[in-house]
Amino acid sequence: MKYKFDFGALVEYWPQLLDGALVTLEMTAISTVSGLAFGTLVAIGRRSHNRALSRLCGAYVETVRNTPFLIQLFFIYFGLASAGLRLPVFVAAVIAMVFNVAAYTAEIVRAGMDATPRGQLEAADSLGMSTPQIYWHIVLRPALERVYPALTAQYILMMLATSVTSQISVEELTGIANNVQSNTFRSFETFIVVAVIYLVLTLILKLAFWLLGLALFTRRRRLGTSL
Amino acid sequence: MRLLKFGAVALAAASLMLGVAPAARADQLDDILKAKKIRVAVVLGTPLFSFAGPDLKPTGSDVETARMLAKDMGVEVEWVEITTAARVPTIQTGKADILVASLGITPERKKVVDFSIPYATLDIIVAAPEGAAIKDYADLTGKRVGLTRATVNDQLVTANAKGAEIVRFEDDATLISAAVSGQVDIVSTQPPLVALMNEKRPDRPLKTKFVMRELNLGIALPQGEPKLKAWLDDWIRKNMANGALPTMFAKFHGRELPKDLADRVVN
Repeated sequence: MKYKFDFGALVEYWPQLLDGALVTLEMTAISTVSGLAFGTLVAIGRRSHNRALSRLCGAYVETVRNTPFLIQLFFIYFGLASAGLRLPVFVAAVIAMVFNVAAYTAEIVRAGMDATPRGQLEAADSLGMSTPQIYWHIVLRPALERVYPALTAQYILMMLATSVTSQISVEELTGIANNVQSNTFRSFETFIVVAVIYLVLTLILKLAFWLLGLALFTRRRRLGTSL
Repeated sequence: MRLLKFGAVALAAASLMLGVAPAARADQLDDILKAKKIRVAVVLGTPLFSFAGPDLKPTGSDVETARMLAKDMGVEVEWVEITTAARVPTIQTGKADILVASLGITPERKKVVDFSIPYATLDIIVAAPEGAAIKDYADLTGKRVGLTRATVNDQLVTANAKGAEIVRFEDDATLISAAVSGQVDIVSTQPPLVALMNEKRPDRPLKTKFVMRELNLGIALPQGEPKLKAWLDDWIRKNMANGALPTMFAKFHGRELPKDLADRVVN
């Protein structure tokens, strides 16, 4: 291989790359929190006895999970703008991400809820707990605990998928990387550096989720079961 | 016996390595002629220069330039379709033999790829709706300017309009979508693209506000290929003189190429 590496050319772009990484993290944080909230509501809706609501939630989940993220992104950014609703690019990107990740969240959370043993529900019922109480204490909280690893994996995937939003001009890490490589013509080095930054971001996220899990699921912590 | 075997293996390995090394240094023009095939990188979706025609086959002045060139070379064309931002890296990494993709000859790009003499020109402009008071870069301060990443437009606006909010899209097609859907009202691009945008936004058409520069476009090729470069330069000079290139260009663009184009020295 006769390629000569030159990482020196990237030094002056370091602050920009860092800014890009921060934008990526910001988008991930907002869409993780909103995606979890919205996705859980959808999961509850899909389990509802109200047929119309259940069908509606099912249709949403299937639509989102069976279309590419890029198409959803273009639809929200360009499609809605053509219809007169002009969203700033960051807002459009975050909405697209929440819209997307909530559907996956809904399915994961629903799986956790469906795994609730019937006996527990009956026990709660005979103890005189109300439906919201049952949902909160017996269904939702243990369900979240059960599917926590799957959920965090999904949010890490979503963090990596933010790279797609550079297509609609979001200046997140990949967008910045494309600027840098077009200025320096050092595409190999740029993408090596960016891959490493993504790796570091993933590790940071994993660590954060692990700590959060320890704080949230005290029963597991007491019993020493790993997350 | 064992030593002999080892010797034979070592020899085979050495000859393999030797066999590979000269191939890597071989002349690209010879390789193209031997393979009877030239890999040409193009960016489809650039109006007038290269786009899918009514029959969905690539056409446009860049595409036809490559076709004429390959015909005279006596080889077939293999199209390598790429995005705007991938133009220089594609040649840098040898993913194509040459690139004919309205690439302006600039000193920065010359550091990493070689160029033929200019084969066409392109005005790059800033366009905005009728009423917008924009006469130069200073007037862009505080405004959203849409452009395509990794173009000379990007480079010039970034350097000269410090106060502008630059919105970079990955290719011309996405930039057009942004202008048509109204996500951006000020663009830095080229006239054929503006015409296309205006077709789809007739209510608030964009007008050229100022010309940033006339770009001289060159065919890009990897560095260190003097024979290929000489062949391309020679071919362009010949076809500028006999009128084949200007006639074909005028057919697509409806304007004449500058008479002195082949003699321009671009740094």
